[in-house]
Amino acid sequence: MPYEALDFYDVDSLLTDEERMVRDMVRDFVDEEVIPKIEHACRDGVFPDEWRVALGEMGVLGAPLKGYDCPGLSYTAYGVICRELERGDSGLRSFASVQGSLAMYPIWDFGSEEQKQHYLPKMASGEWIGCFGLTEPDYGSNPGDMITKAEDMGDHYLLNGAKMWITNGTVAQLAVVWAKLDGVIRGFIVEKDDPGFSAPEMKGKHSLKASVTSELVFQDCKIPKDRILPNVKGLRGPFSCLNNARFGISWGAVGAAQACFDSAKDYALSRIQFTHPIASYQLVQNKLAWMLREITKAQLLAYHLGQKKDAGTWIPEHISLAKMNNVDIALEIAREARDIHGANGILDEYCIMRHMANLESVKTYEGTHDIHNLILGRHITGIQAFTREL
Amino acid sequence: MECTVIAETSGNSIHPITAQLVGAASSLGATPIVVVPGGAGAEEAASIDGVSKVISVVGDCFSTFDSGAWASAIASQCSGVVIAGATPIGREVASRVAAKKGIPIIQDATDLAPGITITRPIYSGKAVETSTVSGDCVITLRANAFDAAGSDGSASVNVVDQSADISIAVKEAISKASERLDVSEADIIISGGRGIGQKENFSHLEEVADIIGAAVGASRAVVDEWGMPHSMQVGQTGKTVTPSLYIAVGISGAIQHLAGMRSSKYIVAINKDPDAPIFGVADYGIVATWEEAVPALKSALAAL
Amino acid sequence: MNFKTTTLRPLKFIDGIPVEGTSKGNHMTIAVLLKQVPDTTAKISVNGGRVDENAVSKWSFSPYDEYALEAALQLKESTGGEIVAITAGPARCEKLLRDAAAVGADTLVHVSAENFNEFDSTQVQNLLAAAVQKSSASLIFCGKQAADTNAGSTGPGVAELIGASCVTLVTEVSSEGGGYTATRPSSSGHEKVAVSAPCVFAFDKGVSEMRRPNVRGIMMAKKKPIETWSVGDLGVDIGANGVNIDSHSPPAEKPPGQKFEGAESVSTVVSKLRDEANVI
Repeated sequence: MPYEALDFYDVDSLLTDEERMVRDMVRDFVDEEVIPKIEHACRDGVFPDEWRVALGEMGVLGAPLKGYDCPGLSYTAYGVICRELERGDSGLRSFASVQGSLAMYPIWDFGSEEQKQHYLPKMASGEWIGCFGLTEPDYGSNPGDMITKAEDMGDHYLLNGAKMWITNGTVAQLAVVWAKLDGVIRGFIVEKDDPGFSAPEMKGKHSLKASVTSELVFQDCKIPKDRILPNVKGLRGPFSCLNNARFGISWGAVGAAQACFDSAKDYALSRIQFTHPIASYQLVQNKLAWMLREITKAQLLAYHLGQKKDAGTWIPEHISLAKMNNVDIALEIAREARDIHGANGILDEYCIMRHMANLESVKTYEGTHDIHNLILGRHITGIQAFTREL
Repeated sequence: MECTVIAETSGNSIHPITAQLVGAASSLGATPIVVVPGGAGAEEAASIDGVSKVISVVGDCFSTFDSGAWASAIASQCSGVVIAGATPIGREVASRVAAKKGIPIIQDATDLAPGITITRPIYSGKAVETSTVSGDCVITLRANAFDAAGSDGSASVNVVDQSADISIAVKEAISKASERLDVSEADIIISGGRGIGQKENFSHLEEVADIIGAAVGASRAVVDEWGMPHSMQVGQTGKTVTPSLYIAVGISGAIQHLAGMRSSKYIVAINKDPDAPIFGVADYGIVATWEEAVPALKSALAAL
Repeated sequence: MNFKTTTLRPLKFIDGIPVEGTSKGNHMTIAVLLKQVPDTTAKISVNGGRVDENAVSKWSFSPYDEYALEAALQLKESTGGEIVAITAGPARCEKLLRDAAAVGADTLVHVSAENFNEFDSTQVQNLLAAAVQKSSASLIFCGKQAADTNAGSTGPGVAELIGASCVTLVTEVSSEGGGYTATRPSSSGHEKVAVSAPCVFAFDKGVSEMRRPNVRGIMMAKKKPIETWSVGDLGVDIGANGVNIDSHSPPAEKPPGQKFEGAESVSTVVSKLRDEANVI
């Protein structure tokens, strides 16, 4: 059945014409190029390269960035793009999030003029893929204690350490890597062929199977001096990137939830048990009504956050709330949708279980659900509760 | 009422729709003149009941299909209410005749009543439009929607030699591609499932498909188990199709299959199990083995 | 009612003979006639005797028009020239023109007519023929029929009014010498036919799907002006409406499913498919 995007409050009518045109373009792409291929991509554990090409051709990579051949769209448009991509698959949205918010954005905001001119055009076109190295095997929610370090060797930097859970790592031409230089966190651009750098793929995932996840390994990795991002020091660098990525996720999760709702509604109306469609039973209607309620709230949250992002009136805690809430309800909706689909819900004939498994990752990456609660807790009380050291 | 029927020709004879056009004209109380573009089958047209006269328009221009030339050649013979078949050629020639005469055209009518009130499907059959025309007009009629007139007539045939300039030249004929239609674009689909026993038996469905210009589809079970191409698969993870006619042979009708085809306009199910869920969505269900039903289908369709 | 005598602007074609060269080199102008229709997946509901436009969830290009637009874009890419996208209808149609601009239409023309859906074929064709002539186009691309009326009268009708050739059910058009080659179906398969401008090409499902736009195209489309031509601006008397639409109604309910026993019922079902369902 053709996809009907649930929009109970007609929130999309608040978008600009341009934003709606971008929405339709990405939605068509997902219908025509992603949905027919996604289950195979998951089974094979690959991210189809033609999706990279198409994203570049559509010109949606680095959506809100201006100049350097970047699209120059609004943050709201970026959100809409994420929502439509994640309706297809969280792995596809992850690809775009990482490329735009985590790899292009730091170069755009913190890079030198030469770095921007050299890297951004080919990243906007999709010719070069970027990745983002912050998380380490032993430092996830606590990146400030990372152990990857950089040494100034006079005519070059030497990197040592390892990063983990890096989306796009193995297929990327460049990595924006955060490492300590004299104890201060700095950003470095590492290219694929730099000596001492490798990016083995992590296998065996039950989630985000159509997305490449890698380790980044630096063993006396030698990079030229002009690869340091000159204009940022400390955790503000990676956190700025994460704010943008989390913003995209808060929209993306709505897309996954809409896909699950659409499938559940369609299934409930066509599945006959006890001689009537199961949609006619109160327990099923209760589930569908709850899904509609939560999706509508999530849409309003995402839209208003987009307006605040475009107006520059946002604070990081606003993004934490939206990312946490929207992923949380999307995951719960996926689970309820699986329940409505009965046993059929576990088959890859339906999108449900795939979204559900994906959203488990989305709940954890880019700030776990709990960490976002702590960010809000600190905002409310003024007391940080991340560590025991007050 | 003054009325002209533009005959539809087929090779050297009259296409059967022509008798339906005359039948429809008669039901409006008209005794139409039948204009035969190119003249093929004019004598046959004269034998249709209720025809007042046949005008066989002959000329070089009829050797190539050029609606502009054809309309120029026949327009002066067409008067009153002009009726043609809603076939590709009929629609195009009729459009140009209407434009040439500055009168409106209504295409693809499925019902006519004196007045003239015209009924036709719009939005691909999702709605029906009823309209009334007071003056002269051109109407094309859907094939098989009107009763054909009988063939006991004996109207006179006037031959008119009318030339017109052709502006289209055929440069190259390309013979029919042997490639089968894709299920996503076909208007008729015949699909097979596990009930037809084995992959080789799809050849029987292909023979039926060839007769009616249908595409051949398959259920997921046979795509997976017999290694049929995935492009044939209709259903949740295959194609979602909405043809005018979907014929399911040996398909039980799992919910995943129904999801891909239940919006088809008409569904025919052939299954030996009278309790198969496919009968729940079928407009016409036939409880029979495929071995008996498919050959019967083939001969019934071939006889149309 | 007569189109040719009531036109106020200079005619580009008189009785089919082009009086101004319009198809030379890259000065060629291709008019693409586009119609906005409810998306073919949208539900159609009837309210107050008319199809309820307010209930249409999504408006789109009429599908065959998309093939026409894509073919026009490809022809322009190979020979140069300009594409004028023309649509007629109420204000909602402007979105269609923006979508056409996003994939590469150069000039956007909205023939503004709020009650366009009530027009009869003569009025529609008079209006579009006048717009085509005002655009100076020598080639006209359109769909073989629109997805709302499913009629297919417009292409050949406009051709007749402007004295142009017409090739329908076209799948492909290319430029050859000074003329054009189009592929259309024939009784034995397909044929390639040669025509010269002025010509209307009415497209069936073509060889290429309409290209997807990109962000750059969308942003340019936003800035592109839309020329709005009213019936008055076109200086054409489109004539009186000869067809009164009495009503729209939902299709007759299908009878409940019928079940037959045995293979001998196949011929009954086949007759029903022809006479009752009218699908074969």
